Amino acid sequence: MAQRNNWLRGTTIRKSGPSTSNNTRTNTPQLPSTSKTIYGGGVQDPSGRTTEYFSMDDKCPICDTDRYLKPHLRLLVSPCYHRLCESCIDRLYTLGPAPCPTCNTIQRKLGYTPQTFEDLTVEREVAVRRRIAKEFNKRREDFPDLRSYNDYLEEVEEIAFNLINDIDVAETEARIARYRQENAALIKLNQQREEEYQRYLQEQEEMERQERELRAQELRRIEEEEREEREKGKQAIIDKLETSDKDAARLVAKSRMEAQRRASARAASSSSISFSQSSAHLLRTRATQSAVVPDVPHIPLQDDYYAYDDMFKMQETYHDPVSDAVRRDKEGIMRAGGYQVNQAWERALRFAVAGLDIAPLSGMPTPPAEPMAVDPEGPADVVMASA
Amino acid sequence: MTASLTPDSQPVASSSSQRQPLYEASTQYRYWRFSPEQLAHMRSTLNVDAVSAIRDAFEADSPGSSSNVSFLTAEEEHLLVKLYVGKISQLCGHFRFPEEVEATAVTYLKRFYLKNTVMDWHPKNVMLTALFLATKTTNHPIALESYASHIPKTSPSDVLDLEFLVAQSLGFDFAVWHPHKALWGIWLDVQTLPGISIEDLSKAYEAAHGHVRAARLTDAEFIYTPSQIALACFSLASPTLASAWARAKFPSSAHPPVLDLLGPIKEIIIRDGSPPDVEAVREVDRRLRLCKNPEKIPGTNVYIKKQQEQERKAEEKRLRKAEAARIAMEEGDPFGSELVKKAVEDLDDDDDDD
Repeated sequence: MAQRNNWLRGTTIRKSGPSTSNNTRTNTPQLPSTSKTIYGGGVQDPSGRTTEYFSMDDKCPICDTDRYLKPHLRLLVSPCYHRLCESCIDRLYTLGPAPCPTCNTIQRKLGYTPQTFEDLTVEREVAVRRRIAKEFNKRREDFPDLRSYNDYLEEVEEIAFNLINDIDVAETEARIARYRQENAALIKLNQQREEEYQRYLQEQEEMERQERELRAQELRRIEEEEREEREKGKQAIIDKLETSDKDAARLVAKSRMEAQRRASARAASSSSISFSQSSAHLLRTRATQSAVVPDVPHIPLQDDYYAYDDMFKMQETYHDPVSDAVRRDKEGIMRAGGYQVNQAWERALRFAVAGLDIAPLSGMPTPPAEPMAVDPEGPADVVMASA
Repeated sequence: MTASLTPDSQPVASSSSQRQPLYEASTQYRYWRFSPEQLAHMRSTLNVDAVSAIRDAFEADSPGSSSNVSFLTAEEEHLLVKLYVGKISQLCGHFRFPEEVEATAVTYLKRFYLKNTVMDWHPKNVMLTALFLATKTTNHPIALESYASHIPKTSPSDVLDLEFLVAQSLGFDFAVWHPHKALWGIWLDVQTLPGISIEDLSKAYEAAHGHVRAARLTDAEFIYTPSQIALACFSLASPTLASAWARAKFPSSAHPPVLDLLGPIKEIIIRDGSPPDVEAVREVDRRLRLCKNPEKIPGTNVYIKKQQEQERKAEEKRLRKAEAARIAMEEGDPFGSELVKKAVEDLDDDDDDD
């Protein structure tokens, strides 16, 4: 019934089960909040917005209010990761800090944050990791070798794991404090570096935005000028037609030509503008290029064999019935794999002259050691010839 | 190998005498070139070793049984191999394989029996494997199933079982320089000589090609280079053209030394270049059935004993390996520390013999 009457109230509530992907609102709630408190925190995306988790099955665990009864229901998460609806928070924490109704740890109203992830363990993990990353911000450059950097990363991971899974929390916290104390200067420095980098990125973005704006302005101005000129030209033609007694068609053609000349001059000047404006872009690409390692071409065979090239002279063509079929093959079916008769000929010629003057062995010279020969320790059934 | 790493040392800088000729860098030149005496010695020692090993196997099976077995001699073994070299040509004709495949398979078979004896591995089986291997190494592959189905009484496993053994015996030297290729080159290059009539030349080429095929049955390829064999074959067909071409190749000397080599090669081809007498080979094969290595015949006592021995060894090795791995795991580093790694290497460096 209630859902059927939604159109009367002008709101549309999409029915979405837990399986649909439409579980999160696109940004901060469109629905008016019942509470006057503004809750901070939550997981922010790079643009600084928090995306709140939202489901048709939401239900406050204390007052049992659900979205069916109260479409404006908003559930918030405590630092102990238990959910509570806004009205319950208002009711429980009117007199300052009070125990969480689920786990009895003392919480404050402002400790509650919007929920981002459906799974609260994920929510918790993200929060822990953010906290850890703030202080454990060493970089690869801060270590003498990769091994120590990897050890450091492993330590960080262990701390994060302990905090997420509540293992030796006290000891882990002590470890963090010790680390903080020992590396205070470096942490600060890295934070500054990070900030600087962020600022740099922002500046870049800002510059780009300004450039775009300038360009758009320029385009608008040019368009305006063009329009004005067209108007003026039209007016001039009319005026001339009124006052002059020359041929009307010729007059029109003449003014058209002038207009065209002006337009081409304008195009030339605007192209120079666009060139100067793309310089920033050029600069950026150049910066990325300088980071690329020069690509040295790989030459697989750098040997230096004597290939009997002075022993024969290749002819343009030979009388060769064997390769007739290939040479007559106009469609290139036989040459598809890159086969070329000339190369086959060259190979054959090389074979014909290779080792022509090598005298045969005689007597009993010692045979050369064979690197790939059968292992004498191997299978005993291969009888070795070498005596 | 004279592989220079600097790309700017171009051939211009170094004279041809300093650089290694292409053929002399090949495995064929380095490992498969022998003198006739060496060949004979290799074959006879191989035969003697094999006979004594097989005699031991017979004795181990049932004492005294080896006294009335007549083992094959090196010459008889060679005769049998020669017969199967001829069989390869027949098979290649049946499959319509190119000459490259045929020549390579023949070389593989001959090289295999320089390292093994026919009393261990019958050439009938090795021939099939050598041919199959040659189709692959010369880039004319054929499916194993269709290959085996075209040969009577042969299953794919018969071909594949020996493949690694054959490859291992060849020392994995699969690239072969063939005389028929060199002969093609001679045929092309002779055309550049002045005053050549194509009819005479093509007639000589055809005849020479027949001689190259005959040369495959001989030991020429172990003693001489492919170009020398091709020139000798060409010389058998047309002595005048061959010597004219050889002189043109060595314009500086009045009498190129290669011309002196042609005589012995021709002699070998004419003497050994015909298929062996089938009756004689049949006799050899009948005797081979009696003197085969019993360790290689499934079902005999020695064979079973040998299998058990091998299994025991493999089991032992597996246990040792597992023990080493367990120790490594306990030490904390699953890949083992330096010391443990060394120990494992000592235990086991032949992983490929199964």
